Amino acid sequence: MERSKESDYDRNNREGLKGWLNPSRYGWERISYWLQRLTGVFLLIYFIGHVYETSSLTRGPDAWSAMLELTQTPWGHLFLILVIGTSTFHSANGIRLIFTHAGKGLGKPGRPDYPYDAMSLNYRQKSGIWVALILAAVAMLYGSSVLLGGE
Amino acid sequence: MMKTRKIILHESQIMKIHYITAIAALFVVAVHILMRLIMPYSMSLQYENVVVNYHNIPYALLLESILVLIAIHGFNGLRVILLEFRQNEIWENGITIFTIAAMIAIIAYGTRTIIMANQLGL
Repeated sequence: MERSKESDYDRNNREGLKGWLNPSRYGWERISYWLQRLTGVFLLIYFIGHVYETSSLTRGPDAWSAMLELTQTPWGHLFLILVIGTSTFHSANGIRLIFTHAGKGLGKPGRPDYPYDAMSLNYRQKSGIWVALILAAVAMLYGSSVLLGGE
Repeated sequence: MMKTRKIILHESQIMKIHYITAIAALFVVAVHILMRLIMPYSMSLQYENVVVNYHNIPYALLLESILVLIAIHGFNGLRVILLEFRQNEIWENGITIFTIAAMIAIIAYGTRTIIMANQLGL
């Protein structure tokens, strides 16, 4: 059956979460969009957990030590290293997005020529995404040296 | 007659708040992390050292500002993500109410910790 144009308008992001989690058909901008949201949700979960974790302080030294025993483990440290990486990427990529939203670094509009590369995804945007990824890796390395360095 | 929805803040204004809270949070979180690094990391997490942090009023205020800024930024980010999934009035209003309620709950819970820890004896 032929689908009417009207029903196409009603599709309303029908893929939902599945479409959001499938960046395979998209380029760097889409991957960065996906990572920004994924890291954001992860950091929000960490933030809620961190607020709960620190509330153990009010129940005295024993409750605080018990909570620390739970988090100050190799797995806890690996989780914190992941938090460091995701928060660095989210911040650096977020700054790029603020500039992009303000129209900075997008370049001038041009005639669409084959192979129809997006004019907005220029070297500035691409390098912004790479800088965010490299900064995240460096922050994770530094975090590892502090957390696993045995200080 | 077409029904018009009451708008308190436009999306463009909400996004400005989103970006301002992000930039402000970057600075205060940086100070919060630096406080963990002024002494060996494991020592900075000892009960007495953490309680001393909360007794320091400027630092307690810094923690409160982190709590408020991240809660606003984080839950508004979640609202934006959830609004991308579906667009209709019931969903949008439900998501807005849920995120504001969650924001208030986490700020209230965190503020309670800051106040109680500030009054803890050593």
